[in-house]
Amino acid sequence: MGHAVAIIGTGQTHCGKRTDVSYPELIYEAVSRAFEDSGLSPDDIEAVVSGSMPPAMEGVNNPHLYWADAMGAGGKPLIRIATCGSTGISLAHAGFYHVSSGLFDLVLVVGAEKMYEGNPQGVMATVADPFFQRPFLAGAPGIFALQSNEWAHRYGLEEKRVRMAAAELSVRNHTDALDNPYAHIKVKIAVEDVLKSRVIAYPVRILDVCPASDGACAVIMASERMVRKMGAKPAWIRGVGYCGEEAFFGEGDKVVWQAAINAAKTAYKQAGITDPRKEIDVAEVYNPFTFQEMLFYECFGFCDFGQACELVEKGVVMRGGDLPCDPSGGVLCTNPIGATGLQRAAEIALQVTNKAGDHQIPGASTGLTHAMGGLDQFNGIMIISNSL
Amino acid sequence: MGKRVAIVDTVQTEHGDKLEDNIREIMFGVVRQLLDRVGIEKSEIGTMVSASSDYWEGISCSNAYYYDAAGANLKSGSNAEEDSGLAFIYGFMRILSGDYKTALVISITKCSETPSAATLTHMSADPFFHRPVGLNETVVAGLQAREYMNRYGITEEDLAMVVVKNLGNAQKNPYAHRGGQLSEEEVLASSMMVYPLREMDIPSTSDGACAVLLAEEKIARDLTDTPIFVEGVGWGTDHSFLGDRNLLNGSLPKAAERAYQMAGVKDPSNEIDMAEICDITSFHEILWMEQLGFCPPGKGADLVKDGVTAMHGKLPVNPSGGLFGANPYVARGLIRIAEAAMQLKGEAGDRQVLDVSRAVAQSVHGLGGQLHSVIILGT
Repeated sequence: MGHAVAIIGTGQTHCGKRTDVSYPELIYEAVSRAFEDSGLSPDDIEAVVSGSMPPAMEGVNNPHLYWADAMGAGGKPLIRIATCGSTGISLAHAGFYHVSSGLFDLVLVVGAEKMYEGNPQGVMATVADPFFQRPFLAGAPGIFALQSNEWAHRYGLEEKRVRMAAAELSVRNHTDALDNPYAHIKVKIAVEDVLKSRVIAYPVRILDVCPASDGACAVIMASERMVRKMGAKPAWIRGVGYCGEEAFFGEGDKVVWQAAINAAKTAYKQAGITDPRKEIDVAEVYNPFTFQEMLFYECFGFCDFGQACELVEKGVVMRGGDLPCDPSGGVLCTNPIGATGLQRAAEIALQVTNKAGDHQIPGASTGLTHAMGGLDQFNGIMIISNSL
Repeated sequence: MGKRVAIVDTVQTEHGDKLEDNIREIMFGVVRQLLDRVGIEKSEIGTMVSASSDYWEGISCSNAYYYDAAGANLKSGSNAEEDSGLAFIYGFMRILSGDYKTALVISITKCSETPSAATLTHMSADPFFHRPVGLNETVVAGLQAREYMNRYGITEEDLAMVVVKNLGNAQKNPYAHRGGQLSEEEVLASSMMVYPLREMDIPSTSDGACAVLLAEEKIARDLTDTPIFVEGVGWGTDHSFLGDRNLLNGSLPKAAERAYQMAGVKDPSNEIDMAEICDITSFHEILWMEQLGFCPPGKGADLVKDGVTAMHGKLPVNPSGGLFGANPYVARGLIRIAEAAMQLKGEAGDRQVLDVSRAVAQSVHGLGGQLHSVIILGT
C-alpha cells in the first residue's frame, strides 16, 4: 500500500425529482455540504475527481467541464471517471489513488446524476453491444431478472421462499430510508405490498426495483499528514478492490460471480480481513434489485453460496442484526446512478465516524461499501474503518 | 517522489479515415501486439486504465464494450473518460501508490462511426447559454485565434506554416492517416471555416487506437533496455464559461508549471528536447508552445518561422505530424505520449529527431482547451 488515505468530509444532496436546480446547482449543493462537514474551503482542495453515468443521460458531452465551477475546480487538476453503474465506487478509488500516490494531500470527489432530464432506460439500453445484445433492449431490469432466476434455479431455492426474502429486504430498505434525510423514496410498506406489486421482469416486481433519482454526492479525501494536521475525524480507506469481466452477458457465471468475488477478495486482503461476517460491522451493498443484494452476500463471503435467504430470515442483515446492510435505505430507495456508488462510501464513512444520525449502527467501526456496473460486468469494493 | 515509473513500450494502429475492424477487434489487436512486443502474458498486467467517450463511441459506458478485449478480463481497471492523457496519468498514479507494479493504458476512438466533431463538441457547450449561440470546438478556436491576432498581429500565413510543417512531417510517420508536401499557398486557398481559420488549419478526425505499458522501475528495466521515465505530470482545468476565462492564458501554463516542477525543469527551452502536442488547429500549436513556456506570449509564430520547431530544428514540435497526421479524438493524447516515448527510445524511424533525452507531451479536451494535461518523459 502507498500513503494512507482517509475520508474527512461528505456531502449529499436531497435526492428525488430535483426540477428546482440545474445540474451544476445540484452538484454545488453536495459540494458545499462536504465543505461544511469538513470545515474546509474550495481553496484548500488540490485536485478534483468527478464522474457520472453516460453523459447522454443528461444530454451534455464532457459534463465535468460544464460543472467545473460548481465543484470549485477552476485552475485545478480535474479528471472524469466513468465506469457505468460502478462509477461512484470508481470515483472513490480514483480519489484514493490521487492521495495514495503521494501526489496530493486533499482531493474532492464528486458524483452526480440528473436522471429526470432524459430517458435513463433508453440510454442504458445502449450499454449493450450494438450488434447482438442491444436489439433485445433489455435495459437494467431484464438483465437482473435473468440473473435472479439463474441464482434461484442454481441452488433449487423454493420460489415462495425467495420472494418472501426479497420482500422482507424491500421492506427493510424502505423502512430504513425513512431515517435517511437524503433518501428519495420515503413510503411505509409491508411485505404484502411487495408481494402484490406488479411484475416488471419476472421475478422482479416494482417494489424490488430502485427508482431513478436526481442527486449528487461529494467526498473529501485526505492524506494521513493532513488528517493529523487538521485534527480531522478520519474514516480510513483500508482496502480497495475492483474487477471487470466479459462484455457479453452470458459469457460469465453471474451467480458464483467472479468479478464480485475478486473485488471483495482484493479489498479484504488489503484490509487484513479474513472473516468478513465477523469483522465487518456494517455494509452498504449496491442493491438496485432486492434479489441481487442476496446474491452479493454470497459473493462477498457473508455466507456460503445458496444460503443468502437465511441471512434475511434470521435478521442478520437487518438494522439490529450482526451484519446490518444498507441502513441508508440503499440503492433500492435512492439511485442517482453516477452518485450512487459514492453515496455508499459516504454512508459508510458516516457510520464508522458515528455521524449517521437516525440510521447510525451503534459501535460500527469497519464497513464495506460496494457498487456494480456494466451489463453485470464490473464490481468495486472499498473497506472503510475508523482506525488505520 | 520515491518511486520511479517508466514506459516499457507502446503500440499504435495505422490510423485512418475509416478502420475496418470493430472497436473490440482493434482493442484486442493493439493490446496483443503490445504484449508480444514486450514478451509478457496478460496475467502479468497489474491493472488497466482506459480512455474513451460515450459520445465519441456511440455506446453508453464506452469502456464496458471493450474491457475484456483489452486484456482486462477479471482484472482491476478504470476509465478516465474523454482524455487519454489523463488515463496515462491515472495509470501512473496507480503504480505510484504501490498497489500495482504494471499498468496498461489504452485508448480508442472511431470517429468514422460517430457524428461530426462539430456536433459532438456542440454538445459540450452548456445547454442554456453557450449552446443556443452555436458554440463548438471550432467556433471557440476561431474566437481564440481572432483575439490573439488582434493582440499580437499574427497572420494567416504564419498559421499556414504550421500546417505545411506538420503535414510534411506526417509523410514520414507510418501510423499517420494523412500527410503531404503542401505549399502555404495551397493552405491559404482552402475555404474559410471560422475566421481566421481555414479548412486546412483544422485537422479532421480519424480512427485509431494506442496502448502503452507502464511499469515501476525495476520491472521496466527487466522488460526493456530503453525504459522511458515519467519525470513529471501536471494537469488542470479552466472555468466553464468562456466569458469567465482568459482565452489566451488558460489552464495550460499552470498544468505545465506543475509538470516542470515535478520533473525539476527550470528552463523548458533549454531542458526539453522535443514536444508532441495537440495541435487542435494550426493556431493552437503556436498558442500551446507559448503556454508550455518555450517563448514569451505573442512570440510563438517566430518559433515556426525561424525553423525552431521543424523536424531538425532546436526544438522539434510534432515530428509525427501531430493531429494533422491523425486525430482519433480521445486517443490522440496517448498517441502524443507514445510518439514522444518512441523518439526517446530512438525507435521513431524516418521521423527520428536527433539527440533527445527529455520530451514533453500534451493533451487537451474541452472548448478552447479547457482541460490540459502535460507529461514530461526522459531517458
